[in-house]
Amino acid sequence: MALRLERRLEISRKLSASISAFFIILAIIAASLVFELLGVSSVETLSKIYYVFTTPATLLQAVLRGLPMGFAALGLCLAFKMNFWNIGADGQIYMGMMAATGIVLMHAYYGLIPEPLVLPAMVAASFIAGGVYCALPAFLKARLGVNEILPTLMLNYVAMRFVDFLIYGPWRDPKGFGFPVSIVFPDYARLDSFLGHSAYVGFPGAIAVAAVLYGLLQKTTLGFEMRVMGQNIEAARYAGIRLGRTLLTGSLVAGGLAGIGGLVIVSGIIGRLRPGASPGYGYTAIIIAFLSGLNPWLALPASVFFGGLLVAGDVIQSTLNLPFAAVQIFQATIFLMIILGEFFKRYRVKVVR
Amino acid sequence: MAEDEYLVEMRGIVKRFPNVLANDNANFTLKKGEVHALLGENGAGKTTLMNVLYGLYRPDAGEIKVYGKRVEIRSPRDAIRLGIGMVHQQFKLIPVHTVAENIILGIREAGIILNTGKINQELSRIIESYGWRISPESRVWQLSAGEKQQVELLKALYRKARILILDEPTSVLTPQEATVLFQTLRKMAAEGMGVVLITHKLDEVMAVSDRVTVMRQGRTVATKRTSETNIEELVNLMIGRPLIKIKPTRQIPEENHILEVSNLVVLNDKGLEAVRKVSFKLYRGEILGVAGVSGNGQQELLEAIAGLRKVVSGKVLLDSVDITNRHPSEIIDLGVGFIPAEALRYSAPEMTVAENLILKAYRTKMFSKNILVDFKNVEKTAQELVAKFNIVTPSTRNKAGNLSGGNIQRLVLARELWTLPNLRVLLALYPTRGLDIASTENIHKYLVEKSQQGASVLLVSEELDELMELSDRIMVMYRGEIVGILSRSQYDVETIGLMMTGVKKLEVQA
Repeated sequence: MALRLERRLEISRKLSASISAFFIILAIIAASLVFELLGVSSVETLSKIYYVFTTPATLLQAVLRGLPMGFAALGLCLAFKMNFWNIGADGQIYMGMMAATGIVLMHAYYGLIPEPLVLPAMVAASFIAGGVYCALPAFLKARLGVNEILPTLMLNYVAMRFVDFLIYGPWRDPKGFGFPVSIVFPDYARLDSFLGHSAYVGFPGAIAVAAVLYGLLQKTTLGFEMRVMGQNIEAARYAGIRLGRTLLTGSLVAGGLAGIGGLVIVSGIIGRLRPGASPGYGYTAIIIAFLSGLNPWLALPASVFFGGLLVAGDVIQSTLNLPFAAVQIFQATIFLMIILGEFFKRYRVKVVR
Repeated sequence: MAEDEYLVEMRGIVKRFPNVLANDNANFTLKKGEVHALLGENGAGKTTLMNVLYGLYRPDAGEIKVYGKRVEIRSPRDAIRLGIGMVHQQFKLIPVHTVAENIILGIREAGIILNTGKINQELSRIIESYGWRISPESRVWQLSAGEKQQVELLKALYRKARILILDEPTSVLTPQEATVLFQTLRKMAAEGMGVVLITHKLDEVMAVSDRVTVMRQGRTVATKRTSETNIEELVNLMIGRPLIKIKPTRQIPEENHILEVSNLVVLNDKGLEAVRKVSFKLYRGEILGVAGVSGNGQQELLEAIAGLRKVVSGKVLLDSVDITNRHPSEIIDLGVGFIPAEALRYSAPEMTVAENLILKAYRTKMFSKNILVDFKNVEKTAQELVAKFNIVTPSTRNKAGNLSGGNIQRLVLARELWTLPNLRVLLALYPTRGLDIASTENIHKYLVEKSQQGASVLLVSEELDELMELSDRIMVMYRGEIVGILSRSQYDVETIGLMMTGVKKLEVQA
């Protein structure tokens, strides 16, 4: 008797969904074991996680925490569809945060922008900042053939450190008792000042972006060009697609969306800029983009799920007195199981006798 | 009699793949001491049937007997243990290793500590007995395609295989190498082995086989003694009808040219001059054949005209418009189509058949409205083209990567010939390479049809028959230069053959 892997040619939606469900259950079992090993009741822990996803207040929080990752992941769906391996969503998030904060400071310090235009200007600035930051390595790739993976990755640190510099230096709140933080954003620069909660603005926004992105990829000639380019660059050249132009446009949009994610962090979650404001949202966004199979529609629920894990992590940490590492182990277990599930969606195991 | 001893008997083999019945009640026998050709078009199920025998696939029904005993072959290891060897179309060799290392790879009996001396001795003995010139110690990357194939054969011989399967072995060989291979196969048969030759080339069947089994649409339609059949009968069995010969009865092309290439210099991927000061004119409605051993600059020439490769110096004029080094999209829009040799290399495998059909035309008025692709019309056109070009696919939404080689080539042909609005020049680079008779015939038909409608064709091929049948003129290339251009009345295999080696004695001004 032996086991053999066979590549699946096609997979039905039903089977795909049931494989995912099976591995999520498996993930929960594995995570329970981890919790038991750490000496806490797994039932209690899991019920707390369950509680996060079933209580309206915490679910709303999960949606909000998922938004920065969600926007970044939407951008990555596009980038990865073009075969542009943007590992730099985190840096683009930081640039978005920086640009949004910059607009706020311009208004607060110098009164350069009229009050009702501050938030629209923040949206535009964070999109442009993230987009240009992503287009930079794309330009290098298009012009000089530089592989994008390392530049995008390293630009993350550049962006993070640059924000640090601003916060420790010129952008530090003069009344902040010397803490490295910006001033608290005024109400008109905050997402929660409209409908009472940032998620009420952000989530519909994300849905709209997903719809536009889906339409762009599936229905437009530009999206067609992006998909062909992502599949086979030689075929794209042969088909007469202008590769550089397409890549730059796509990377602008991809990075811009990550920039919007940054806006959500400063304007919707924290309410000011501080160092380390993105604890790796841009990296989790990569996982989200892959799990959703680069489908913008699926990226949204996936980001809510990961947002929920963050919220659950906070809850577990504070109520069960577990170290943060335990929460990370829990999250990693879930990641691993989901990735394993993806594997079994691609291959089937055959028992050969 | 020993001669009639069956090495292999396969009865009622059925193998299903999603959407395809690859083998439908197929029967096959192999006798000791024979070369048995397994003939059929692409997708007829030849390779599938032999993969079943080699343990790569498990049949859904049917029985297999080897040496008269019923067996279950679960993996290639089982097959090897039974003395079955298989040489695949793509060689399974590790280039940086030596011949000997490649051969003992995976043989458990070789033990942990290798007795290299003994192995090399044994290999040398086999090599010598077949009159080959490879050495057990040479590295595989140093060998030519024909020699690599000998390594694969050597592998089977060293493992004492009694049954040998070769999948389209001549597709990578020059005619001379093929002749050597056939001698080898005859010798193997004479020594009592059974050899299965999977092929779609009729001349090979006639040249080397003792018996031939013809497959069509997954079924084995007939098994004949080669001496008792003929090409016409085999074609009939293979494609289910006699072959239609194309006899282009064409008027002389108008004397004004559509494409003018002058003093063109193009580099290959290694940065060396692949096309050296090439000049020629392509007339309206003409098929200009380009003969030459492949690798003499034909590919680079066509790519440069299509804008896919940079022109170092020289000019390409399309209807007096300078298209030298213009972007491929502009050249496409001006009416230049390009049928590449490897269709899959120039398609988007994960995208649908319909999307691949409009790979070039998506931006034309026909398939787009402002910024949107008009997918309704795309779908409608795709349905028509799939029907017109006989592209075998479950639906137009099937992924192009799931199509068989011949079908992808048909898809490319449909795209180049039918989706572009004003096709004026068609560049065809080995359009029929690796295709079966019916597909080749189809392509020829469409090329002639297009040229009769006024388009000009630059046809690069290695098949002289093809060139002489279709072309109005033949241009011979050697080492990036044009040796000469012959007009129809000057065609002669020997002359062209000589010119292909660079002999300029029959230079003809065009």
